[in-house]
Amino acid sequence: MHRSFKDRQRVILKDGTVLTIVKFLGSGGQGEVYEVATPQARLALKWYFVQTGTDKQKNTIKKLVSTGKPDERYLWPIALAEVHGKKSFGYLMPLRPPQFSNIVDLMKRRIEPSFDAVVTACIQLADSFHKLHEKALCYRDISFGNFFFHGRTGDILICDNDNVTHTAIQDAGVLGTPRFMAPEIVRGDIKPNIQSDLFSLSVLIFYMLMMHHPLEGKQEASIKCFDLPAMTKLYGEQPIFIFDPLNRSNRPLPGYHDNALAFWPIYTEKVRQTFIKTFTQGLRMPSVRPSEKIWRDILIDLKNSIVVCDCGMENFYDIDKLKQGVLNKCWACGSLLKPASRIKIENEVIVLNMGTKLYGHHLNKYEKYKFKHILAEVIPHPIQRDMMGLKNLSRQTWNIKTKTGKSYAIDFGKSFTIEDGTVVDFGETSGQIRKG
Amino acid sequence: MKMRPGGELATRPLEFIWLADCSISMKTSGKIDALNDAIRKSIPFMREVAYENPNAQVYVRAIKFSSGAAWHIESRTPVESFEWSDLVVDGVTDLGAALLMLKEALKVSEMSERALPPVVVLISDGQPTDDYKTALASLMEEPWAVKAVKIAIAIGKSANKRILKEFCGDNGIDVLSADNAETLVEYIKWVSTVVLQAASSPASQAEQANTMGINVSIPVIDDDDDLLETISVEDVW
Repeated sequence: MHRSFKDRQRVILKDGTVLTIVKFLGSGGQGEVYEVATPQARLALKWYFVQTGTDKQKNTIKKLVSTGKPDERYLWPIALAEVHGKKSFGYLMPLRPPQFSNIVDLMKRRIEPSFDAVVTACIQLADSFHKLHEKALCYRDISFGNFFFHGRTGDILICDNDNVTHTAIQDAGVLGTPRFMAPEIVRGDIKPNIQSDLFSLSVLIFYMLMMHHPLEGKQEASIKCFDLPAMTKLYGEQPIFIFDPLNRSNRPLPGYHDNALAFWPIYTEKVRQTFIKTFTQGLRMPSVRPSEKIWRDILIDLKNSIVVCDCGMENFYDIDKLKQGVLNKCWACGSLLKPASRIKIENEVIVLNMGTKLYGHHLNKYEKYKFKHILAEVIPHPIQRDMMGLKNLSRQTWNIKTKTGKSYAIDFGKSFTIEDGTVVDFGETSGQIRKG
Repeated sequence: MKMRPGGELATRPLEFIWLADCSISMKTSGKIDALNDAIRKSIPFMREVAYENPNAQVYVRAIKFSSGAAWHIESRTPVESFEWSDLVVDGVTDLGAALLMLKEALKVSEMSERALPPVVVLISDGQPTDDYKTALASLMEEPWAVKAVKIAIAIGKSANKRILKEFCGDNGIDVLSADNAETLVEYIKWVSTVVLQAASSPASQAEQANTMGINVSIPVIDDDDDLLETISVEDVW
């Protein structure tokens, strides 16, 4: 229980790297984490306890270092850290920037991000897990503790990557974290794999969107003592989705599961149906669980559908509902949402609110799924402030054609008025504006 | 400003109860001072664990026992506002009286309708001076007592570890022996952080961990699956 290193201790690794221990950051089930300074950068050092610092773990770290990170969001092992005279070992990884919060902060409402930021985070999670799984790597231990979240932008970071191994490896050493494990893992039928990762990812996305667990309904409320046997029953032996359309026995109960009841109706039908598939058929048949790619596309649709009500609150515009002539009510003020301006770019429909941004994902076919570069933004007219315009923030000159047949060139920094029927040639892609 | 509906993630209460020996022998070698100091030092760590835990609302209480037993801190105090007041010594070691007082606290009628497994930490340096066996049997008639994570810390060499182990039951954790103030601080910190965390929001499960027959998996320490005949920790109720 004593710390392995002291603050300000100078440590020389076997490979000759000289570190200074800056401070102790925390400890978990496997080891301790320190902030360290090298001549080049500030990094994090994870140091295993003697009993968890096995040869197998060491080999995993070596492989991860040589494989390299799947994308920039992974705080991936950079180098193995061994010290002469110390029984255990560790590894170096990037340090979490201070502006990133824990997911627990989100769950405890200590940060209050917008829907846009939360959905962006979910898109990034799906995208990053797609990249991991593409390499046939399995994460195995998705839980609140393994991600960080930027409350304003929705950017995420993924840590604790030291259990990541090839999906076929059966003795990776970790089964997962209760509440996130797939039923077949909870029951002990099989070991974690990419399919069980997909289940855990869906649980995390459900938690982030609904602030609730997908299997905690009437069954959970009836359990007095919530311990491991109770969890095994609820999450492994008798899992029932709280919104299973065919089995209503585990519905969320008012007073106990208010978040589930408050959030579920807000999202689009596509999102609801994807959760229903994951947590009904997908509970028993891992092969039917929606892939990360499906999640990514559905969540991008969800982000595109954000509409700001006159009361100022974000809602989701259900295009499928609009086609039936129905629009949902604002969750905050209860008034019916008004038909919003929107632009259709290829197969995506993006609602245009004041402040809506179009990214590389929307306008550049070479930046699909990238939301880093803002290439357009909805801004108010300089005089008539309630009139919306789309500002060109890209290097590409746009060509627009209005409904009346007039054509204009829109250079970088210029804007045009958002009018029904206007067609925009963005260069790589084109779009058409609809109002009403 | 609230930008989304609803509230924070739903939590369940977790009762954390200290059961502290205040017999006169605890004065020897400054044991009571060490215990007061250790519990006081553990509070910030306990708060930190609770702060990082999305699934539990932690409440702390304390029972003291010497000649008889009494509540040292009776009200269920949220860990965020929990403060430790020093225990003072007198009398003998009426562990049985403390167990009966614990039984009253863990009665179904006294507990929240839905909760996480309670954590009870017994700290003693000696031999019980009353009929602890009958009291323990009576305590274990309470379902919440069966479900509770029961940990014992023996202070010094005179503590009867066999009896403390009887209190713990077969939870896979040996009685912790603290022979000096530093070790006591470490153990008190361990129970108020690692054990608290395990009881409320279990961490990542290791493949080799055997969780059969236990209701809370405490990291690193092996378990045993011996069950009680009447009420089982495996029961879901």
